[in-house]
Amino acid sequence: MSSALAENKNSAESAFFSLHKTFLEKVKPHAELLPLNRSALGRFETLRFPDRKHEMFTFVNTKDLVTSSFSLQTENPVQSEFVRQHVYAGCEQSHLTLVDGILRPDLSDATALGTSVKIESLVEAAKSESVRNSLKISIEQENDVFASINSSFMKQGIGLRVFRNKQVGVPLQILHVSTGSGNGSVMTVPRVFVHLEPLAELKLITKYVGVKGNYFINAVQDFTVEDDAALTYTQVQADPDDAWHFSKNRILLKRNSRFFGCQASNGTRLVRHHSEARLSAPGGELELNGVSVLVEDEQAHNFIRIHHEADHCTSSQHFKNIINDRGRASFDGTVIVDKGAQLTNSGQLIDNLMLSDDGRADCKPNLMIFADDVKCAHGATVGQLDVNQLFYLKTRGLSELVAKKLLTRSFAESIIQKIPFPQVVKELNNTLLKKLEADHG
Amino acid sequence: MENKDDPISGVLDNEYKYGFVTDIESDTFAKGLNENVVRAISRKKNEPEFMLNFRLKAYKKWLTMKQPAWPNVQYPAIDFQNISYFSAPKPKKKLESLGEVDPEVLRTFEKLGIPLDEQKRLANVAVDAVFDSVSVATTHKKKLMEVGIIFCPISEAVQDYPELVEEYLGTVVPVGDNFYAALNSAVFTDGSFVYIPPDTISPMELSTYFRINTEETGQFERTLIICAENSYVSYLEGCTAPQFDTNQLHAAVVELVTQDNAEIKYSTVQNWYAGDPETGKGGIYNFVTKRGKCQGEKSKISWTQVETGSAITWKYPSCILQGDGSVGEFYSVALTNGHMQADTGTKMLHIGKDTRSSIISKGISADHSSNSYRGLVRVGKGASNARNYTQCDSMLVGDKCSAHTFPYIETGNNTLQVEHEASTSKISEEQLFYFEQRGISRENAITAIINGFCKDVFKQLPMEFAVEAQKLLTLKLENSVG
Repeated sequence: MSSALAENKNSAESAFFSLHKTFLEKVKPHAELLPLNRSALGRFETLRFPDRKHEMFTFVNTKDLVTSSFSLQTENPVQSEFVRQHVYAGCEQSHLTLVDGILRPDLSDATALGTSVKIESLVEAAKSESVRNSLKISIEQENDVFASINSSFMKQGIGLRVFRNKQVGVPLQILHVSTGSGNGSVMTVPRVFVHLEPLAELKLITKYVGVKGNYFINAVQDFTVEDDAALTYTQVQADPDDAWHFSKNRILLKRNSRFFGCQASNGTRLVRHHSEARLSAPGGELELNGVSVLVEDEQAHNFIRIHHEADHCTSSQHFKNIINDRGRASFDGTVIVDKGAQLTNSGQLIDNLMLSDDGRADCKPNLMIFADDVKCAHGATVGQLDVNQLFYLKTRGLSELVAKKLLTRSFAESIIQKIPFPQVVKELNNTLLKKLEADHG
Repeated sequence: MENKDDPISGVLDNEYKYGFVTDIESDTFAKGLNENVVRAISRKKNEPEFMLNFRLKAYKKWLTMKQPAWPNVQYPAIDFQNISYFSAPKPKKKLESLGEVDPEVLRTFEKLGIPLDEQKRLANVAVDAVFDSVSVATTHKKKLMEVGIIFCPISEAVQDYPELVEEYLGTVVPVGDNFYAALNSAVFTDGSFVYIPPDTISPMELSTYFRINTEETGQFERTLIICAENSYVSYLEGCTAPQFDTNQLHAAVVELVTQDNAEIKYSTVQNWYAGDPETGKGGIYNFVTKRGKCQGEKSKISWTQVETGSAITWKYPSCILQGDGSVGEFYSVALTNGHMQADTGTKMLHIGKDTRSSIISKGISADHSSNSYRGLVRVGKGASNARNYTQCDSMLVGDKCSAHTFPYIETGNNTLQVEHEASTSKISEEQLFYFEQRGISRENAITAIINGFCKDVFKQLPMEFAVEAQKLLTLKLENSVG
């Protein structure tokens, strides 16, 4: 049994190597990015695909994913109508559309951003030494094998730079459209590099959608937020159910900078978000919130590492999952407070609402503390709707069904309402929460 | 070693090598571990065949296993061939007076407020008949026998009650459970055996103290406690007095079994030598597997531990909540100072319906030490209405230590309720200042703060243990704060 598993894994790895060969020969990498591709491939060789006992993938079974043979996505047409549907109101003149990871200027409009933001291809962005260096270091120190796959195929992708002291008023939306495939699984590797110069401010919404399913979107985003800059970030995952969605967000916060993030997951056959944040200088503030609603066989997993490297930083996380049918959610989060990172204030809370007997919720909220004058707390709960609350609502004349609906909604609402974009909140109320109502009849 | 493949000639060779016929040489085996050594231990103890098979099975399993690398502790590799696996129990050396006892030990006794006679007993000084541990033990034993409780060394139980041992040994901690449990199963020499018959409340708290404890138990201790229907026992292990031992590696296994409506309360105070406080050299490695199985309905297992010693502690007293309505509890205070490393916690495996568990863990780390809580709460699909509450708090004293929490929560049904919370705090200068300005000395202030922090656990300890444990913690932190 175990040797059969190992064999599967090895054949999956060799399939991946031959895919990379195809990439080198047919897709032709950029000469500037090629050394990075090679370095990432070397990293992949060291990391290998995870087995079931891999500590980073305790709750995530990647067997089906790694044993599916993938081809690289070829160009597919996308209707501009499809794009328009998914662009939020208010972002009509400030959206970038990436189709299968490639920027499509014909489907993008960034006129509202003016001269505050520089948008360029990743190759252009990597010409700056600081960007190239940070890419190089992050690839060499990569701990997530799937992110190293992204880097080894990295060719397209975009770089965003918000100039010093520019506060962008309109929200910018990045729309990732995966065209998917009719036959055979395809992989895409979108890459976005966001850099906020000192005192800059940006509101960013990233949304993932798919035209057809059966694709593996393996995205990596790097955020560098310099001194006194602020980034408000919302990530909406709305891929079709038969997609695999892996995304890694790497966040670097400098002195007195802020990152406020919210993510909403619709769940697919396998969704895994990996967030890695470094509070590298005093005064950094980080907030990450997430909500996922899972029905049928949908899964959504979160893996989070927060490094408090400097003193006087705060971080907080609040994640909520609603699990129905055979849904699976997991949360594996670690807050690391380095030696000397005194006066850290860190909180972490995970709440799971189990609506069915066949669902699964796993949590691993870890703390690693090497400094004594800190305030760190974490909590995790798994439970059902409170019978007392249900009873209360019923005594007020609400039917059981309505009462349940109301309580379930309000459970998710506390996270959804934190999203600072009304149009996204409205959409999530119509999509995420609708899923539950269909079930409640 | 060279005859490993041929057990028969191996055993023959062994007899010659270790001198089974001569009394003089049979006391201690040569260093090293192989199948012959395992056979020889079993033979030496005149064990029935099932025991030999048990040991051999464990040994074979052990050969295929690796030392666990996942705990958050660091230590140099252990050479398992450089340990002597059998040494005949020998009486501890009797001392003439307290004057011969290590002054450090005496100082601790004084601080802990242990009465003089008990001090003598603990330090193994010869005492008059009234306080002699042997006579105390004999009196206790008689009392226990009256109600039908069996409390004896496990090697005796193997001889006298083989059917009980065979039925239960290895049912909670299987021979191949983990690397150290497998090693223990193969080579354990002694430990305690307790059997509480049905409908019996133990008339006293059982303690390893008076299990005629004039002999060293050795580094591979094995404990098996079985509590039959409607019975109750409280078992105490260890003591607050500092314990020195020449063996660096301690790999004990403790198995508990409760049947319907039975309850076992297992309390531990551990204060093994923690190594040189400056360098961390020479301390005990305490790699223990403790697990209880609530086999019967509405049964209960409660673990309480106060861990204050050992260079490395690796210990997860766990509960398998198999019977419907069974209850598991874990209360722990783990203190690390000097260069100590502790990776300790619990596992609560909810299998039966309506099972409940609570976990209260308090970690205090000081100096250069590292203190980790690692816990698993798993609720299976069939464990409807399961309920868990976990609280793990850490306190850091000084800025060179570290505290870690690694809880695992795995849940799979929609009637369960699981809660976990953790926090980190410190003894602040403000708190100390507040006490001091009210005229309370710094030392007493620290005691008060620590006691407040650990209160939830201490109140679970038997009275006399609780008092000593409080003082012990203060004593340990004496030079760390302020």
